[in-house]
Amino acid sequence: MLKVSVISPEKVLYEGEASSVVAPAFDGEVGILTGHAPMITALGRGTLRVDGGAGNQRFIVEGGFLQVVDDQVRVVTEQAKAG
Amino acid sequence: MAKGRELKGRIKSIEGTRKITRSMEMVATSKLKRAQDRVVAARPYARALEAVIADLYSPELAERFPLLRQPESGAQGDMPKSGGRAAVLLLTSNQGLAGAFNANLIREARNLLARLAAGGVETELHIVGRKGIGFFRYIGAKIASSRTDIGDKPAAAHGSELVDGLMNAFIEKKLDALYIVYAKYNSPLSTPPVAERVLPVTPPERKGAARDYLLFPNAEEILTALLPLYVRNAVYRALVETVAGEQGARRTAMKAATDNAGDILNVLRRTYNRARQAQITQEIAEIVGGAEALSG
Repeated sequence: MLKVSVISPEKVLYEGEASSVVAPAFDGEVGILTGHAPMITALGRGTLRVDGGAGNQRFIVEGGFLQVVDDQVRVVTEQAKAG
Repeated sequence: MAKGRELKGRIKSIEGTRKITRSMEMVATSKLKRAQDRVVAARPYARALEAVIADLYSPELAERFPLLRQPESGAQGDMPKSGGRAAVLLLTSNQGLAGAFNANLIREARNLLARLAAGGVETELHIVGRKGIGFFRYIGAKIASSRTDIGDKPAAAHGSELVDGLMNAFIEKKLDALYIVYAKYNSPLSTPPVAERVLPVTPPERKGAARDYLLFPNAEEILTALLPLYVRNAVYRALVETVAGEQGARRTAMKAATDNAGDILNVLRRTYNRARQAQITQEIAEIVGGAEALSG
């Protein structure tokens, strides 16, 4: 399982486990599964999907970045809301 | 019993004051709780941003980023060189009755302005909060911009509204530094005023070993996108910490006021009762004296 957190300046929007994450990177969607190599990518604007774990979560994000390291996925973005 | 009535009036009035200070203390306590939650909730974002910037930053890259443009050599300490221009953003509260809270912030800002002026740096002053604006208007200082609409629930958007214009001025080299004066929130009882340099950005230090990341598109572009977020976040955090500090300071001030009112009430009640007792004793003495005169 991946450990996922979605973080905005004001609060942590989501923290939990997921089997997959699909994020809107700056040049198209990027999918993350367990065992992904360490990565940092800039985000564009679109829907972030966090699947498995505690239900399927959707967030609308714009800008910021996504960081993957040791099956921990951190989505850090200035504009994020549950959608 | 003229004195007694006067004392009674004072006791009533101080009881009223104590009611007010006590309810202000309770309001500040509940607002403090919420402001504190906001300070804590803002931490993960700042930490994540810091960690990534520290990971990506390298001195070779620094020269290419306008936001990292360090003061030219010859400048002493972290100050821009003589002839440069710095902006000072002072955060104060809109309301008083918070002890020395605003006075401390204003003093810190004046010290900083004096230090910059002594170094030959031109300054411009941006103020948030009625208390700071009132003071600097009173001493006739020039205020470049002011805001009073942020209140006790600052949002991340407020941070960017405040700093985006200054950040652009810095990139266009119209400014050489940006300082922010705010109340650091260590605990409800410790909210010291601090002056921090926000621009040029001081890169955070890397903690732990460097990881080999795949970077998309590349370190430079990611940093270009993240550095403004970092600056905005510094301002947003200063805003939430100042609000929490204000409520903490107000709670402390109102608690002290409530306690003092209690002490004064004790003294007044004692004086009042003594006066009443003395009067009764005197009346009894008079009656006894009168009765004795009649029977004698």
